[in-house]
Amino acid sequence: MSAVNVQGASKIFNQGTPKQVDALVDVNLTVEPGEFVSLIGPSGCGKSTLLRLIANLLEPTTGEITVNSKTASQSRLDQDYGMAFQQAGLFDWRTVAKNIELPLELKGWDKAKRAARAKEMLELVKLPEFADMYPWQLSGGMQQRIAIARALAAHPPLLLMDEPFGALDEMTREYMQGELLRICSETKTTVVFVTHSIPEAVYLSNRVVVMSPRPGRITEVINVSLGSNRTEDTRGADEFFKGITAVREALRGTHDDHANAGAVRGVEDR
Amino acid sequence: MSPLARRSIYRTSMFVLSVVLVGVLWELYKLIGPEDGGKIFGAAVLPRSNDTAMPHIWSMLSRYGRPEVRGSDRQIWSVVLAGAWYSFRLSVAGFAIGATIGVGLSVLMARFKMVERGLLPYLVVSQTVPLIALAPLIVSWGGKVNILGFTWPKWLSAAVLGAFLAFFPIAVGTLRGLASAPSASLELMSSYAASWKQTLFKLRFPAAIPFMVPAFKLGASGAVVGVVVAEISTGLKGGIGRLIIEYAREATGDPAKVFTAVFGAAALGLAMAGFVAISDVLLMRNRPKETTT
Repeated sequence: MSAVNVQGASKIFNQGTPKQVDALVDVNLTVEPGEFVSLIGPSGCGKSTLLRLIANLLEPTTGEITVNSKTASQSRLDQDYGMAFQQAGLFDWRTVAKNIELPLELKGWDKAKRAARAKEMLELVKLPEFADMYPWQLSGGMQQRIAIARALAAHPPLLLMDEPFGALDEMTREYMQGELLRICSETKTTVVFVTHSIPEAVYLSNRVVVMSPRPGRITEVINVSLGSNRTEDTRGADEFFKGITAVREALRGTHDDHANAGAVRGVEDR
Repeated sequence: MSPLARRSIYRTSMFVLSVVLVGVLWELYKLIGPEDGGKIFGAAVLPRSNDTAMPHIWSMLSRYGRPEVRGSDRQIWSVVLAGAWYSFRLSVAGFAIGATIGVGLSVLMARFKMVERGLLPYLVVSQTVPLIALAPLIVSWGGKVNILGFTWPKWLSAAVLGAFLAFFPIAVGTLRGLASAPSASLELMSSYAASWKQTLFKLRFPAAIPFMVPAFKLGASGAVVGVVVAEISTGLKGGIGRLIIEYAREATGDPAKVFTAVFGAAALGLAMAGFVAISDVLLMRNRPKETTT
């Protein structure tokens, strides 16, 4: 049973009008349980669209998407996945603990059970002392950790992340990457992760899915053989640089019209 | 001292200062302004500064201590206070009706784009109808109401007219607030498969509060204006509006008298706005400070 299965999915916006955009064309992707898969590519390659198709926030124009062997819409109704965005998107009027409880509240959990789970999640992201503070009193990195705690509060088997660390500074970002790997291995969560950063994709992933724009499609899937125990030292390992080079080369090919322009637009090389 | 306490002391003292300043300007104009008004080519441009048109501040204030009419044992402050209290209750009733309708309409408009397109122009048009023209209509419609033994009391007409002015800013402000929820948060709620109702109460309303508070302030003062004007144009007795119109008739003989009622109306408006301001402080106390209004 695969965690995510995308078969022949296309997403065309404004179909049949002059403003038609082929955001995704004939995409096939399978993610196995426990796997960490990154989607990377220049702006407009459809990586966020693909994530939203999996999340059932968008309906595919054609094709089939299953999550946990259910239709995407059924798994959304069952809250089979948690989601985190670039902006932490915490509610200003709720305390940190109440923010984490939000998905549980919507599921109709009782108060004691919610509070216990919020406590557990705060310990998971190592911020137990911030339960009664408000999100705007926290730093950006802390807010993003709370957002991850919220996404995982219902213990979903799948975590969908859309550039969650994109707004953080480099140091915080590397710390968060380490934390995310720790959290995912502790909770055995499958992750589909959209990013602009090549090192981030390589450091985190078992597989990096390289996409290209106009029309949005998958051009290459690169396996990263860094093993399951990744530490800060991994960032200096030969395999890490090999992975970065492989992804970078795959991305070069994605810009037919700007092939000789050096770095690929919209993708961070750091 | 907490920053909040310091800020409220600062605000109060600024308010007192501005009141004093207006009084000083009033007296200053009385001192240097022309007794019978300034005219340029026959057109009056400067108001008259004589005691009939502009009584002294102290004569207005001392008027509160004297009886309403010669020989009466009721001093005018108690009459004005009773009138203001009566109008205040009507304004609260009008505000409550207006807020219910305003919030209800905004929820409907936020839910159904069709309703917003169809209804919003009418709401705007409704506010261009002069209240004076509407007042007798409401009274006469109200007089015909008799449902299951419920007869329309006359004061309800005044409250309805207050509601008529109150609902508009509340509807428009709340609608903007409900639409202000960030799309990422809406996406989040939809990823939780939250129902529209859950999204309304857990996201849209809390996100709307910074927009609703100023709208409710406008609505509160609108309710006061509506009630006062309705009292005047429907001849409803007992309220501050009625006192203003009665006392204004005596302006030549007792010029300070009408001002006692005018100040009563102003205090009434301030009291209404004050209640909304208190709710603002309570609702926004846990929000980031830059979004407080």
